[in-house]
Amino acid sequence: MKPEQLRYAETHEWVAVTDEGGRKVGTVGITAFAIEQLTDLVHMVLPKVGKAVEQGKEFGEVESVKAVSSLYSPVNGEVIAVNSDLPNRLETLGSDPYGEGWMIKVALAGDGGASKLMDHAAYQKQCAAEG
Amino acid sequence: MRNLKTSTLLFELSKPARRAATLPACDVPVERIDKLLPKDSLSERLPPLPEVSEPEVVRHFTNLSTLNMSVDTHFYPLGSCTMKYNSKRNERMAALPGIADLHPHQPDETIQGMLELLYELQQILGEISGLPAVSLQPAAGAHGELAALMVAAAYFRDKKLLRTKVLAPDSAHGTNPASAKMAGFEFVTVKSNAAGFVDMEDLQSKLDDQIAVFMITNPSTLGIFDKQVSQIAQLVHKMGGLIYLDGANMNAILGITRPGDFGADMMHYNPHKTFSGPHGGGGPGAGPICVTDILGPYLPAPVVEKVEDKFRLAYDRAQSIGRVRSFFGNVGVLVRAWCYIRTHGPEGLKAVAENAVLNANYLLSRVKHILPVPQGDRCMHEFVASAAAIKKKTSVSAMDLAKRLLDYGFHAPTVYFPLTVPEAMMIEPTETESKETMDAFAEILFRITEESPELLHEAPHSTIISRPDEVRAARQPMMRWKGDGNVR
Amino acid sequence: MPYFYNTPEDQQAMLAAIGASSVDELFDVIPAEHRLKRPLALPPALSEMELAQQLGALAAKNDHAGSKVCFLGGGSYDHFVPAVVDALAGRGEFYTSYTPYQPEVAQGNLQVMFEYQTLICELTGMDVSNASLYDGGSAAAEGVLLAMSVTGRPGKVVVAGSVNPEYRQILETYFECIGAHLVTVPAASGIVRPADVAAAVDSDTACVLLQHPNFFGCLEDVAAISKIAHDAGALLVQSFDPISLGLLKRPADLGADVAVAEGQSLGTPMLYGGPYLGIMACKEAFVRRMPGRIAGQTVDRRGRRCWVLTLQTREQHIRREKATSNICTNQGLFALRAAIYLAQMGPQGLKETAELCVRKAAYAKQQLTAGSRFSAAFSQPTFKEFVIRDKQNRVADLLKSASAAGYLAGIPLGKWYPELEDCFLVTVTEKRTKGEIEGLTRSLNQ
Repeated sequence: MKPEQLRYAETHEWVAVTDEGGRKVGTVGITAFAIEQLTDLVHMVLPKVGKAVEQGKEFGEVESVKAVSSLYSPVNGEVIAVNSDLPNRLETLGSDPYGEGWMIKVALAGDGGASKLMDHAAYQKQCAAEG
Repeated sequence: MRNLKTSTLLFELSKPARRAATLPACDVPVERIDKLLPKDSLSERLPPLPEVSEPEVVRHFTNLSTLNMSVDTHFYPLGSCTMKYNSKRNERMAALPGIADLHPHQPDETIQGMLELLYELQQILGEISGLPAVSLQPAAGAHGELAALMVAAAYFRDKKLLRTKVLAPDSAHGTNPASAKMAGFEFVTVKSNAAGFVDMEDLQSKLDDQIAVFMITNPSTLGIFDKQVSQIAQLVHKMGGLIYLDGANMNAILGITRPGDFGADMMHYNPHKTFSGPHGGGGPGAGPICVTDILGPYLPAPVVEKVEDKFRLAYDRAQSIGRVRSFFGNVGVLVRAWCYIRTHGPEGLKAVAENAVLNANYLLSRVKHILPVPQGDRCMHEFVASAAAIKKKTSVSAMDLAKRLLDYGFHAPTVYFPLTVPEAMMIEPTETESKETMDAFAEILFRITEESPELLHEAPHSTIISRPDEVRAARQPMMRWKGDGNVR
Repeated sequence: MPYFYNTPEDQQAMLAAIGASSVDELFDVIPAEHRLKRPLALPPALSEMELAQQLGALAAKNDHAGSKVCFLGGGSYDHFVPAVVDALAGRGEFYTSYTPYQPEVAQGNLQVMFEYQTLICELTGMDVSNASLYDGGSAAAEGVLLAMSVTGRPGKVVVAGSVNPEYRQILETYFECIGAHLVTVPAASGIVRPADVAAAVDSDTACVLLQHPNFFGCLEDVAAISKIAHDAGALLVQSFDPISLGLLKRPADLGADVAVAEGQSLGTPMLYGGPYLGIMACKEAFVRRMPGRIAGQTVDRRGRRCWVLTLQTREQHIRREKATSNICTNQGLFALRAAIYLAQMGPQGLKETAELCVRKAAYAKQQLTAGSRFSAAFSQPTFKEFVIRDKQNRVADLLKSASAAGYLAGIPLGKWYPELEDCFLVTVTEKRTKGEIEGLTRSLNQ
């Protein structure tokens, strides 16, 4: 997945919306910028398949040694797949945040609110301001 | 002289059939154990404990002790923890058989001396706080917070008032929100302003008739007295809420001002801080709470009562929240607090606060030329310096400075707390340190800021170990010895 | 003042450096209307000698386990404390240090925590132990809260009526606030019947809390009850007596998921109830929801083995209102005492201690029930405690006259168990001698 093709939440999650057999699916992860800011990650909690997620609401957590950060869903819908091995190989997040580092796939309700998210250029601007 | 060959684990010292303790022969008829207890309840093997000799036990733990910094050996300006001198006479007193060997279920008439002491301590803590109803039961400060919030909940239930929220500023100890949740409340954070005080506008916007308690630490975790406190209390009281004072910083105001006089309805003490109970490598503490007379009936039971010239434990308290701890409380810590208070007397306690504040302000006056202190030129018993500017300039962080201080024989200040100050270094000298010690600390801190960043990133250099890999410890937690796979 | 260094001259120099004219000026920030305008109404200061005299006089008014023979238990015990425990734990480097926030200068404490955790794991058979909680009662409450969190069943807990009644009172206090339901299974025969537990447990139950040996000293059928709990998707939280594990099967071997205990027996004096040591160990899967500090092994930058506090993200200073518990301190000093005690006792010493307790308690029970006035309230086998029924139903008078004769003879049970108003709990540790047991028997029969 190329970063330019993704949509972004202010809370540093990305989503890639694809069409799978007529339904819209959002693949969700966190950005390289966020991973850098969080420093050495040590643990992650992801939801179970079937969980309803809501835009802007927490769906999981990542932990570094001395901080816990919530993961906020960028879209509305229901979790249909979880990258359940990811917590066991957190280094993947650093090496391939937009590919192997995906966290959940969400069956979107409508467009899942994706249109309200930032595009890549807008997100880059936000990161520049925060960094 | 430190023994550098330590760090072998007890389990690695173990050798079959070695032993330390010997027990007396059994002087009652020796029945077979499996005749006295059902066979299937018994373990088929010995408990898998290490087998070592008594000299090995002594050498092992003695050598381990030398790997610690402590108040007895080092300046320990760990902000918020009040690492003052722990008097030896208090240890002797607490170890008297008439104190240490009392069973908690002894009848009241056999422990009149102990009950008298505890009764007097209740009175004393009530007087110092200006909140006359006292429970000595909670086991630690956080436990006191929880008990007091339960008292508040019981009070509102009794008054048939639905109160769901506990508010506290963002600079509060993490125990405040955690206790609020355990007591069944929703927690709401109130902002602090740039000066470190409660942001009154934000507070007003969050105040409604759902508020149960506003928790405030005053003097705050930034080491400053929030003079808005009585105004805050008025606002909260007007909405029908209660004020809780986190008494972590009572050391600064003993005999100077009383929480009950500036609007608090409830508070806890940390006697292991304020009244010099030894911190024991992380505990024990105690967390006695004081409340207004109106809230008194809801305190945990039992409390000590005086009836004529006798003392008794009063359990018959219909409105009490019940028990929060088994037995009476952390009596060993309370006895030391009594000793400390009685040693100082009223003038002495006020002098504790005065000297704690004088020392902190003096150290602040020395440190502020080295590291900025965002909250200003004056403080109470502690202050928070920031390494943010130095980090930006040289990449040296508060952590680097803290680690390098260890090399020079100073325990580090508290770092990265409170969360509201970037690169925070929270420094609390306490009243039991000399000007010379603080001068030496400030001089070393200055010298460190002149050292090369590379040297500081790698500090400490002279301790028994260098910086541990905390990421590894958290990613693959190894929380017990397993006899293999250990790094030598 | 005894513990200050600064001379008047120092104070003047310090004030000059600060730029203040007086110490009082430093308190100007406190509004005048809140300043206390009188001295605190406290007794005057005492010198060290006077303090020793005053406290000595108060202490002398108390009977204690050295002046009367102690047969009291119920969660606090008169076990032997070897001299090495006081000598080593009394070192200032241990007891005047604090939480190991700077691991480079706290390897002593951290290694002790790691050794303590390992000892508790070995003793209980559990995978992980924390570095201690406040005491046995709060450890039991925290064990129950852990089970609620792990199972996602916040509404209901089943507790045996034979669990220490003060521990159950703590749970009631905690549950009142969070709206959870505590179902107590009676222990009419001295233990709970598995069938009664089965009837109380359902698919909303987070756990069963059981004490073994229980408050009456009786042995519960832990294995059967743990199966009942597990079949319903609930956990078994077992409160145990650490000394009993010199002989009894370990909590993990009996099916417990969480093991909690009062650790006072392991080298800590009775101290009128505290400070004590809360022990908690559990299965590895629950570790991220376990409260309290944990030491973990790692390496330093030069690859040397060392220890740090780990999994701190569970704790309140990071997770605040989402923390597993509000607990901040541990009982480091008493975890240290327990580690020294267990090292000193070793496997053989702990076993012999447990055997002495069992044999002496059995002898005392037999002696006390040999006459016509007293009977054993329960027929169950007992460990180091047992319940005696006074057929004359005059427990208060009886205990009072025994006290006058030099015996702290037992704990009356009526205040917790109305049906046991004619009963008291007798405890016999390894310290009690044949002569003392016979003396108690004579005194109670007078």
